[in-house]
Amino acid sequence: MSSALEVTGLGVRYRRTWVLRDCSLAVPAGRVAALVGPNGAGKTTLMHTAVGLVRPALGSVRVSGEAAFVAQDKPLYESLTVAEMLAFGRRMNRRWDGDAAAARLAGLSIPLRRKVGRLSGGQQAQVAVTLALASRPDLLVLDEPLANLDPLARHEVMRSIMAEVAERRLTVLLSSHVVSDLEETGDWLIVLNAGRLQVSGDIEELLDGHLVVTGPDEASTAGTQVVSASRTGGQVGMLVRGAPPLDPRWQARSPGLDELVMGYLRSPESAALPKLTGVGA
Amino acid sequence: MIWVTWRQHRAQILVTAAFLALLGVLLLGSAVEAIRYVAGHAPPGCPGPAVACGDLAAALERRYDAVYSVFGWMPLVAPALIGAFWGAPLLGREYERGTHRLAWTQSVPVGRWLAVKLSVLGGAVVAGGLLLSLMVSLWRPVFRAGGDSTFGNIGVFNMVGVDPAAWWLYAFALGTVAGSLFRRTLPAMALVVAGVAVTMFTLFRLSHYYAEPARTELTGTVVLDDQDARLVSAAWVEPSGREVADPSDSGCPRRVDAGQSSKNTEAWQACLFGKGYRFAVYYHPPSRFWRFQWTEAGILTLTSAALGGLAVRRTLRRPG
Repeated sequence: MSSALEVTGLGVRYRRTWVLRDCSLAVPAGRVAALVGPNGAGKTTLMHTAVGLVRPALGSVRVSGEAAFVAQDKPLYESLTVAEMLAFGRRMNRRWDGDAAAARLAGLSIPLRRKVGRLSGGQQAQVAVTLALASRPDLLVLDEPLANLDPLARHEVMRSIMAEVAERRLTVLLSSHVVSDLEETGDWLIVLNAGRLQVSGDIEELLDGHLVVTGPDEASTAGTQVVSASRTGGQVGMLVRGAPPLDPRWQARSPGLDELVMGYLRSPESAALPKLTGVGA
Repeated sequence: MIWVTWRQHRAQILVTAAFLALLGVLLLGSAVEAIRYVAGHAPPGCPGPAVACGDLAAALERRYDAVYSVFGWMPLVAPALIGAFWGAPLLGREYERGTHRLAWTQSVPVGRWLAVKLSVLGGAVVAGGLLLSLMVSLWRPVFRAGGDSTFGNIGVFNMVGVDPAAWWLYAFALGTVAGSLFRRTLPAMALVVAGVAVTMFTLFRLSHYYAEPARTELTGTVVLDDQDARLVSAAWVEPSGREVADPSDSGCPRRVDAGQSSKNTEAWQACLFGKGYRFAVYYHPPSRFWRFQWTEAGILTLTSAALGGLAVRRTLRRPG
């Protein structure tokens, strides 16, 4: 399987502080990869590196084909009209599908003659996404595309992006610090925590390969690989990888996506990367 | 990319063009008015070197000064405005609004984006400066039939020849760098205004060294007859030929003048000349106009190129 985005041994630092260290991952083409992690984990830096806004200190990032990017605050030139914004995109890109962009904006009832600064936040986000899609990218990178949007707008933006993904072979990398935003849309999960990569893999395989087990405090964890554990009263809840523990007192069930993510974020030293899970390039 | 540059900066381009057009109208109007005045009031043979033309020259001088005062500050203000409104926002505004993340993630590489903007806007700035120079050069002779001051008066010197273009380009480059340093428009604008003022002062001081000053010895007067020369320094020359800054043992009585009178100083100078002293003046004659113009333009253009290079380097190194 060819990968749309390949990150190898990536290290990024601002002055003396390393914001990303030793990140290696590959997102297969055609996937919708969800990049999650707490604030300050390095999600934005990873995305900026992928689209060339940040130069890595170590390692490399390779995008096969063209990448399009929508930054977190969805920057647009506010004094330009929507039509002029499209003209900007047409002149700044090798590939440009102006008809599709115009049709998309018409479908969203966004007036072409209005100044961008006078559109609502949701409409501005849609214009930004439209510009990115119109350049016919192979990889679409969206930094917190749903932040600052009301629930209806979130749904609209997400639905329209997914429609594009379904229509053609487009790889999407989108970030959020709200896992539930990504639950229905992503099929690839990347977890970043404090500048380090913890998880990168197919969501279904990850969920299949992990269990949430609960049992008494004194039960043995032999026979399993504990990702993280939390104690409440005499009970222990654990996220484990692979087979459940041998001790029969443990009760096992499949984790939800948020349980999986939280399990890893709780113990930054754990990792489920391609070589461990056997998924990937 | 050229359309993008035009669309993003057309406000500055149009305002500058309108300003130059307005100035052109003002200069043309005052010149036409002056020519009609000359036609109506000039005695026969004027303007010319005849003594009878003195009144006319004085009247023209007054008219000239009225218009000149309108833009006496222009050698300083025009470059400062160019730097603040053409240079500072070029990168400063993009960073400030976060739109650099839009502009620099399209197919056009950052380097090309910057190269087109710098060359198109830099070219426009140079053209604007040359147009200003041309208008001022066409306008001034109407008033100055006799003595000229394009060399001696630093304000006029900076508005004729190639200097306005060099100053405008320098201010534009300075503003661009300031925008990339501060990543904000307003502080960059402030730096441009301060930077242009400091540079103008520094280059004026430096200009004495653009060439070895000419030396001449005067007797009977301490005033150089060429009004347009730039004085560098002066000294007294003893009868023995030794140059001294202050002849203290000449035996001439030197009394301090009271108020605005210079009677005592003149008497002292006359006494010195009587004893065989001469007055040495170091100066740059107006014939060095183009040498000074090209030297100053060269310094400013090279600095602009260095500043532009710095802006490009900073931008390419850490675009995000």
